[in-house]
Amino acid sequence: MNILIRMRKAFAQEMPFFMALPAFVWQMLFLYIPLICVVALSFLHINQQFSLSSLTLSNYGMLHNPLLWAVIGRSLLLAFCAACTCALFAYPVAYYIALHTNRFKNICIFFLILPFWTNMLVQVYAWFFVLEKNGLINTLLLNMGFITEPIRFLNTAGAVYIVMVYCYLPFMAMPIYSILDRFDKRLIEASLDLGATPWRTFLHITLPLSYSGIRTGFFLVFVPAFGEFVIPVLMGGGKKMFVGSLISYYFLAALDTHRGAVFTVISALILLIVSLMLNKFLKWLINVFVGKGY
Amino acid sequence: MEKTIPATSKALVVSVALIYFFLYLPIFVVILFSFNNANYPYVWSGFTLKWYQELWYSVEVWDALQNSLIIASSSVILSLTMGVLVVWYGSQSILSRFVGMFYGTLAAPEVVLAVGLLTLFATLTVELGFISLIAAHTLLGLGYVVPMVHAAFHGLNKSLAEASLDLGATRHQTFFKIILPLLRPTLFAAGLLVFIVSLDDFLISFFCSGSSAQTLPMYIFSMIRSGSTPVVNALSTIMLLVSSLFVLSFSFLHVRRLGWRL
Repeated sequence: MNILIRMRKAFAQEMPFFMALPAFVWQMLFLYIPLICVVALSFLHINQQFSLSSLTLSNYGMLHNPLLWAVIGRSLLLAFCAACTCALFAYPVAYYIALHTNRFKNICIFFLILPFWTNMLVQVYAWFFVLEKNGLINTLLLNMGFITEPIRFLNTAGAVYIVMVYCYLPFMAMPIYSILDRFDKRLIEASLDLGATPWRTFLHITLPLSYSGIRTGFFLVFVPAFGEFVIPVLMGGGKKMFVGSLISYYFLAALDTHRGAVFTVISALILLIVSLMLNKFLKWLINVFVGKGY
Repeated sequence: MEKTIPATSKALVVSVALIYFFLYLPIFVVILFSFNNANYPYVWSGFTLKWYQELWYSVEVWDALQNSLIIASSSVILSLTMGVLVVWYGSQSILSRFVGMFYGTLAAPEVVLAVGLLTLFATLTVELGFISLIAAHTLLGLGYVVPMVHAAFHGLNKSLAEASLDLGATRHQTFFKIILPLLRPTLFAAGLLVFIVSLDDFLISFFCSGSSAQTLPMYIFSMIRSGSTPVVNALSTIMLLVSSLFVLSFSFLHVRRLGWRL
């Protein structure tokens, strides 16, 4: 009896711990343990009986295949180009909404984030109508007489790239906007008053101050674009493999989970390393462009 | 602010207009062709509503929608409940040091999460279906709820909770009478976001759903792959309408909280 009361008291004292516990358990069980499982799987020996067997490095032998590295390199390049283009497109929009709109601000924001809340498949599907053999662009070009026969846009890397920029644009625009919206506009006025040209003001005041927004946006685009599955499969026709499509090929089509696990681990590692390096590089770039004072 | 950058202003306006055009051209075309009276979807041949009618009588769409709604609402409820408990009770226990754990979900590419979950379910021999999808979507939801609610909680005036505890309210009473009402707008916004994330998610559903629980995005994916029909356009148009309603209510919540005018 005594013990029971003591236990109840202890429980009451530790109640916050037990109330907060479920989410932690959930997070461990469904995020961290699965990741460990994948790493473990990549080190397990393949055998026919599907029983637990010895640890091995032999799965990693597949890394001699240069095609895998080509897939990873292609995905990195695509993700990098998409992120840069998104930054180039999103910056003027975010800048305009944050600094140049008054009455229409909310409407502009609404139309900027609406695609983000719309299913990505719908967005990808929409591009079929623009890029198809007898879609919008080809019809226009044919009618205007620029081309004599339709250009093939679908199932090319270019289509994957365009649609990726389209789908991830809001991810870049929102962080930049939220930084630009908050920062002290009097700095711009002061710079202009003191005789700096608009461009100089932009390069030395606005751009450095919005740098953190660009960086956040860059990684919000870069990381998911690297592992993107839907866009390469639908727009690229599944001909050119990207990391996302190759991983799902291993797991769902070839049912070769060991190799799939190796490839997942390697591409995640490379993504991590490249992201860290890019982070350093972006910092260096802004320093070079803006010079001292940042 | 009109005089901020006078020289580039015109170029800026033009480029912004072009980018909005780029954003809305495909959407406009999809909506247009949902009313097109032809099987072959790329030539305009008159106005019709028959694709909406066909969509209405399609059994598969309703099944997929029902599955999606069940999964989305369960994961909203689960992730909101667990998330708000973590933020309030976790802040008073040793677990508060590990809140960083919840920021990991968004840092990993989705395909890695999907592969991990599939491996876990295969290892535990859990049958793929509703249970596995709800578990996965709740994980995604926690990745949004905990950071949002955590930020809002730390923006609250600390003395309110302290006063309540000082004046003799228990932790539970403080939670229900003080914290929960103060966090209500954030909880609504987070719940809405999780709902839409769950409805939108394709990749994790693709990996973890098995054959029993086809969700709406999976249905759309299989329709697109087997060749587009205007029914998909009709469905897309409706989904666009629904998501604009969601955005409106989401921004209304946010706008009110931040004190902007709409």
